Amino acid sequence: MKKKTVAAVLACALFCGVISGGCTQAPETDGADSRITVAINSDTGSMDPAGSIALTYLAYSVSALDELLTYDENGEIEYRAAESFEVNEAYTEWTFHLREDALWSDGSEVTAADFLNTITRALDPASGSGYAVYLFPIENAEEIYNGEAQMDSLGVDTPDEHTLVFHLEKPCVYFLDLLRLPVYTPSCEKYADAVDSGWATDPERSLANGPFYLAEYVPDQYFVLKKNENYWNEDAVKLDQITYRFFDDTQSMANAYEAGEVDVATSLPSTVMQLYEGKEDLMVTDQIATRYIYFNLNVEPLDDVRVRRAINLALNREELCQIVGADTEPTYNLVAKYMKDRSTGEYFVDGAPQPFEENAELARELLAEAGYPDGEGFPVLTYSYPTLEMDSDTAQVIKEQLKETLNIDIELRAQELQANYSTRYAGDFDMCRMNWTADFADPYTYLSMLLSNSTYNCSGINDPEYDSLVEQSDSQTDPVKRSELLHAAEQRAVGEEFYIIPLYAMKSVNLVNPDITGIRQIPASGALEYRYAEKGQ
Amino acid sequence: MLRYAVKRIMTGILSLFVLATVTFFLVRLIPGSPFMSGGVSQSVVEAIEEEYGLNEPLPVQYLSYMAGLLQGDLGISYQDPGTSVTEIIARAWPLTASLGTAALIVSLLAGTGLGILKVMSRKKAVGHMISAAGMAAAGIPGFAAAILLLLVFSVKLKLFPASGLYTLSSYVLPVISLSLYPTAVITRMMANALAAEMGKEYVLFARAKGLGRGRIVLTHALKNAFLPVLSYAGPAFAYLLTGSFVVESIFTIPGLGREFVDSISSRDYTLILGLTVFMGTVVILVNLAADLLAACLDPRIRRNFAGREG
Repeated sequence: MKKKTVAAVLACALFCGVISGGCTQAPETDGADSRITVAINSDTGSMDPAGSIALTYLAYSVSALDELLTYDENGEIEYRAAESFEVNEAYTEWTFHLREDALWSDGSEVTAADFLNTITRALDPASGSGYAVYLFPIENAEEIYNGEAQMDSLGVDTPDEHTLVFHLEKPCVYFLDLLRLPVYTPSCEKYADAVDSGWATDPERSLANGPFYLAEYVPDQYFVLKKNENYWNEDAVKLDQITYRFFDDTQSMANAYEAGEVDVATSLPSTVMQLYEGKEDLMVTDQIATRYIYFNLNVEPLDDVRVRRAINLALNREELCQIVGADTEPTYNLVAKYMKDRSTGEYFVDGAPQPFEENAELARELLAEAGYPDGEGFPVLTYSYPTLEMDSDTAQVIKEQLKETLNIDIELRAQELQANYSTRYAGDFDMCRMNWTADFADPYTYLSMLLSNSTYNCSGINDPEYDSLVEQSDSQTDPVKRSELLHAAEQRAVGEEFYIIPLYAMKSVNLVNPDITGIRQIPASGALEYRYAEKGQ
Repeated sequence: MLRYAVKRIMTGILSLFVLATVTFFLVRLIPGSPFMSGGVSQSVVEAIEEEYGLNEPLPVQYLSYMAGLLQGDLGISYQDPGTSVTEIIARAWPLTASLGTAALIVSLLAGTGLGILKVMSRKKAVGHMISAAGMAAAGIPGFAAAILLLLVFSVKLKLFPASGLYTLSSYVLPVISLSLYPTAVITRMMANALAAEMGKEYVLFARAKGLGRGRIVLTHALKNAFLPVLSYAGPAFAYLLTGSFVVESIFTIPGLGREFVDSISSRDYTLILGLTVFMGTVVILVNLAADLLAACLDPRIRRNFAGREG
């Protein structure tokens, strides 16, 4: 009998041992009130600004890294790592004077070399940076990236520790907008040596020059940022700690918010809007993004502008958005609906007449003119899209609407996201879904995609007139004239040549603990920023 | 017996080799590249592919992967530069293993207990209730049960955490979700086997000797009735140990299952392969262990092995 008791005790001990062995340490979230926990999407990409970054870096950098300067919600310049800048008349030489009191989180000085460090590392293709192309306005940057020039020919000078000079290939009026991109963000020269050395996730070596620094990083689970006591604007920072927890899907995030495990959950499903209607927790923000469809111009009859126009005019976007979700709003533009025009302070797309109006009657006429009266003889076109819920719903509605209005058939080709990217890059489609979130707050981020030589131009667009309009805007320093050029370019692509089918703009559905105040929205991307947030009064 | 074990291990290694080869080529058949994402240009993708040797002919890549595998090198994850596949497995496996072990122990205890209760109870209602509950537990898909438990016990009642595996209480819901089905199966197996044993002559003899029913079950019949359960427990354990994709995803547990799903959707070739080989090894070892254990417990099987030896 004694033996059995011993066995039972051992079994219990084993059970407890097994369980505690698997327990991971919980992030400290309770205690003092000035800590918040934010739910973000799964751990993806590098934390190195010169590396292949994705969501994790974006969440981290918003709180931990200071770019040279940025724009606030009113379109005014907000100096961060820099305290002033000047530019020559030709807009080809930009000089930034760094803040002398800026320190890394270990107390060492932030110098111009730290900015150069990220740039030179990102110009090595092996770094995998998807943003390296945004360094190409700098003299010789593209040649260096392609291995055709030496690094010492790069058009970046650091005459002293606190001065950073960029020499550009040609005038670039939106250069200041590029500065928020990872490749223009500093990485401490002392530790940030290579993309794969692991420095970026190691709290000992991953230094921050912003209001928070990386205190703990547990892959796939969470990371903790603590207040940077060495930050030049430390007095304005009220939170002591921000914990970011990774979640696989947005429904789990919403559950965790409901269960009180996180204070902020972003980009939730649109159903959350109904569940939380009228409650203080719900915070709906604009996404600077457009969802649209590419036509393949190499496929008949999509090479005929009348057919492209007919399809565009035949859709009913209001109805589409009602079905797809409350977080969508119809758009008739390529440039994101909620992107602001800094020269007017209004939404850019409101600065010109809507590129086209939906008109079912005219759509049928156009199709008949193109040789397909009542859809007769029209080939079955394939629409390729990723199997995300929203895109699947969209595809069904479009198929239905085109059948009803034009009597043409669309074959739906649902693909896994990665497979859909491949299809698009290979140009192996008739119509393909596309979604573009702005990289920086200038319409150029959208319009440049349709340039003949753009890597995102997978649909065979080759329009010298369009190219010329966009290129002229590059060097037009008068903001009003530049806006006119950009509007003309968009009108040509969307309202005359109908290269794409704009569908809708999106809202981001977020849940935020009502005790938290001071959360801001970054104008360029629409993401939330917690630098100067406060919890509890 | 030893020879049997060695033979099984050799077959296991051969299976792993075939598994790794088939997976290697199948993975490459999926369209897409590990480095392609919405925001990276084609030239960047090509540059990185070259850096990782993905531009080499497939047979060359295969040979170099296999050479690494023989030395126990599973390679570097493409999505997580600087992190080896072994490191990823090392951090995900404890979570999955602890969850799987806990679920197995719970299923064995609950299943055996309920099985005995069903046979022993003199009230018919108890037997019916256990059957009905078992049917429901086996019939409701794991993910549905998991979501239901999550909604009721953490989102609404806030009794248990909704995500992560940070405290003991966060084990409760995932373990219940995982053990529902095996518990139902074990209950039924146990009840059937025990009922069969109870009709055998030795039980009759024991009763004639004047032993009580309870005593007979615990000291005599249970051991025999447990054998079929054991043969089920092996594969069930292997299944639980290699991670439940669904339950891990619902409760946001960064275990093997979640890593596996992520690795496939991001085309992280080395990670997919590494996880497949690792899971294959676990399945083979656990099944081998279960067979050997059964042999130790049942003299008839033991003799069988001996027969093969001769």
